[in-house]
Amino acid sequence: MTLAAGTVPEAVAQAGNAGGARARWWAGLSPGRNLAMLALVIFLSFLTLYPLAMLLYGSLHSTPPGMAGEFNLNGYASIMTARNLGVLLNTVGISMAKTVPALTLAVLLAWIVARTDTPFRAQLEVLITLPFFVPPILTAMAWGMLGNPQVGLINQVYKAITGASAPLINVYSYGGVVWHMVQYSTPFLFLFIVDLFRAMDPSLEESSRMCGATRWRTFRSITLMLMLPALTNSFILSFIRGIESFESPLFFGTPAGITVITTEIYNSINHRATPDYQYATALSFSVMGLMFLLVLMQWRILRGRSFTTVTGKGYQPNVMHLGAWRWVTFGFCVLFFFVTVVLPIGQLLIGSFFRFFGFYTYDMLTTEHYRSVFSNTEFWRGFRNTMLLGLIGATATMILGSLVAYISMRTTWRGRRLIDGIAWLPWMMPGMVLGIGFLWAFAMLPGYVPIYGTIWALLFAYMALGTPVSVRVMTGAYAQLSYDLEECSRVHGATFFQTLWRILVALAWPSFAIGWVLTFFGIMRELSASILLYSVGSEVLSVVLLKLWSNGQAEQVSVIGLMMVALVVVFRWAQLRFLNRRISAL
Amino acid sequence: MAAIVLDKISRSFGSVLAVDAIDLAVEQGEFVTLLGPSGCGKTTTLRMVAGLERNTGGRISIHDEVVSDASANFFLAPEKRRLGMVFQSYAIWPHMTVFDNVAYPLRIRRRPDAEIAERVKATLRLVEMEQYADRPAPALSGGQQQRVAIARALVFEPRVLLLDEPLSNLDARLRTQMGDEFRALQKRLGITSLYVTHDQAEAMALSDRVVVMHGGHILQVGSPQDIYLRPQSRAVASFFGSPNFLDASVRDCRPAGDQSYVLDVEGKGWSGACRSSAPIAQGEPVSVMVRPENLRVATGAATSSELSLAGKVVDSVFRGAQRTVLLDTPAGPVNAEVSSLIDVKAGDAMSFASEPGAAWAIRA
Ligand SMILES: Nc1ncnc2c1ncn2[C@@H]1O[C@H](COP(=O)(O)OP(=O)(O)OP(=O)(O)O)[C@@H](O)[C@H]1O
Ligand SMILES: [Mg+2]
Repeated sequence: MTLAAGTVPEAVAQAGNAGGARARWWAGLSPGRNLAMLALVIFLSFLTLYPLAMLLYGSLHSTPPGMAGEFNLNGYASIMTARNLGVLLNTVGISMAKTVPALTLAVLLAWIVARTDTPFRAQLEVLITLPFFVPPILTAMAWGMLGNPQVGLINQVYKAITGASAPLINVYSYGGVVWHMVQYSTPFLFLFIVDLFRAMDPSLEESSRMCGATRWRTFRSITLMLMLPALTNSFILSFIRGIESFESPLFFGTPAGITVITTEIYNSINHRATPDYQYATALSFSVMGLMFLLVLMQWRILRGRSFTTVTGKGYQPNVMHLGAWRWVTFGFCVLFFFVTVVLPIGQLLIGSFFRFFGFYTYDMLTTEHYRSVFSNTEFWRGFRNTMLLGLIGATATMILGSLVAYISMRTTWRGRRLIDGIAWLPWMMPGMVLGIGFLWAFAMLPGYVPIYGTIWALLFAYMALGTPVSVRVMTGAYAQLSYDLEECSRVHGATFFQTLWRILVALAWPSFAIGWVLTFFGIMRELSASILLYSVGSEVLSVVLLKLWSNGQAEQVSVIGLMMVALVVVFRWAQLRFLNRRISAL
Repeated sequence: MAAIVLDKISRSFGSVLAVDAIDLAVEQGEFVTLLGPSGCGKTTTLRMVAGLERNTGGRISIHDEVVSDASANFFLAPEKRRLGMVFQSYAIWPHMTVFDNVAYPLRIRRRPDAEIAERVKATLRLVEMEQYADRPAPALSGGQQQRVAIARALVFEPRVLLLDEPLSNLDARLRTQMGDEFRALQKRLGITSLYVTHDQAEAMALSDRVVVMHGGHILQVGSPQDIYLRPQSRAVASFFGSPNFLDASVRDCRPAGDQSYVLDVEGKGWSGACRSSAPIAQGEPVSVMVRPENLRVATGAATSSELSLAGKVVDSVFRGAQRTVLLDTPAGPVNAEVSSLIDVKAGDAMSFASEPGAAWAIRA
């Protein structure tokens, strides 16, 4: 998520980021520096390298974490099956099948919002990006209710209107998995692409028109081609995220017998008579290998292929006048919002007020689900845990990310590349894989470090998962602050820490706040690592939801889901209202 | 036959009238420059000719073909106007080589490959860039990008070339050199050019005619000499350098024989001869413009055919190539540029004289 790009006002952005060498003047000032660096490296390694190493250890270990056993290659032998080849193909196929339409949709929506005179496009942009912030577990459950072949609302309406007896849609299918992924991938990709459209120097396209190319030819030969490296990057990123996805295949694939790598790992621990840890761990470690290959491929493809088309001048993007067609594009955006937000959230709303999900008659109206949720101690525990973990986790992750970004951007300390690299590692770790790694990692800790089975386990996992994003957001923020500001403050007599506080913190806090909100959302939606690492007492909301859902309590799920959506909307509103006045994008 | 005719064209952005009913005719093969302060509507005018901006009023014709008529709601898309354009940012496509950039207009027109190769090579030779054909476009210096942009605009033999501040991103030395080269090329090819700049020296050096704009209006159209030496208003005069304006009244007026008139004028503490574009009646107030560089130190008594001024030196600044003297005269402060060899100090008394051709009367 390089969502930090272009988030600081133009004026600051103009100021150069002229080489790290200039920060050398205070390189020798702090005596405890090496110690501090060491502490940081150890802590980061604990978050990322340690679970990764324990994955390898666990994959070679014959018994579950914490039990005596022997070392062998049985785990790797057991994953080499024809069935798993099918699982791999499913995973890759589904991810590919969702990335193509999601990218197409994202390009189209971004173009509409950034480059046409579609009415209300500023508001549309906020609406279109909303699904990205809604936890996928909520929309998954809502779509489970909407698209249920027997009692789903859509099928009920369809049958009532047409008189047909066969359902219109069945979300428990390949199509259902892909459809659900497309819903939250599209806004994710949209956030990248819309800025590309905005930043492009319009004269690059205008000169093509002057050369005799039509609008469409210009779009194909110039606009798209200029964006190609960034689009390729987005494609690979979205593909990787598709492979890591857990909620969609869990909700729509598993009931239909469609298994992907993440659900296979989950099932081998949670849905077998005896959990097969070695199998799950070997599979997880192999996934890391696959991810590594993908990232390597991404680097190779993108090496040296980025066209900086941004000229820094205050260009107004070239807006196309659509005439009457602008209501068509408007309608298209509204339709996207309707299908991805209004439908599922409307379903939660309806579901929460009827006695039984699927039976929507007047006499079934009730508020009993609200009462039972509010009197449910497990819900309150989950709510408290999620809030606590969200607040502490987001703050801690952002502080960690700010430190790492500062050291790697603004100093010449030895080891800064190392910490940058370690902090980046979880970028390619699916939550499920990291969860398995931490399972081993915490179980192997000595008894006087009681993390296993506590809320701390979740906190560390969330910090690990959130660190790459926080580092990127803060790196973007520092990159856009000129060294001169810092040096000027020093020259005028401020100490290093005063400078850090007065200048950097004062100027970088909007990015910090944005990163904080992103991390908070990330924690609130996290399911795959949570489901492995929680234990009684440390459940989080997503886990509570999944348990209720498995028990068939879709009505209570709706109530909790609505509350989470309300939370998302409040945060998002606050972010747009108070932060984006100071920062342009996101 | 005029190559470009602007007939009362206007453009408003909301309530802002960026261009207000401009009339202009550019002849075939002519080099016309739009000149004016920032925000006066030069770019907007050029973009309306290009078709990148729609005119909200008036009519534009290119080679007797109407390309845009606001009252008839007719608008020809830019790609159908067959115009070449060079942008301020060059707009060289970074994902193509130099060759591909220049070949693009021909590929759009589906020319055979052999012809494309030949014409691209010929055009690149024209701008002395043929050895760079295979370079990726981002690996070029500013001046080289400039040449590629010109080549790309010329390669398909457009009817008219439009240029929006093409030299403003270059350093001063290169700017002069590229300007002169481009002017030579333009003359050789005889291609009609409409050029936008806010640099007066550039406009003077390159143009057949200069259009001085201000606030969406045309103040004056004329040859560089006309604009510089015979401005029609104080606004045009003060756009070039910082001329002195002296209030005076007319004592006598007679034709000079070259469509201008010789005036005998008198101001507070000075008198002399100057010229004007139209006859001005005796006793009328005028404003006489004299440029600092056209004043010379008067040695003897002033002749009646000259304008003469006397006063006390207030300030004297040595600038190397010349010396700037600020004179306090009864008619007000006067700036003069004299040879840097002349050594004057504040407090000295000095008198200046000027040829009648260098003093120009504007109706006050
Ligand atoms: N898209 C637009 N929307 C609103 N106002 C505009 C737009 N484009 C230009 N203007 C306004 O129109 C006026 C003329 O602008 P224009 O770009 O033609 O000026 P210019 O003479 O080219 O100036 P410069 O020398 O700075 O390039 C300005 O007041 C400008 O603010
Ligand atoms: Mg301009």
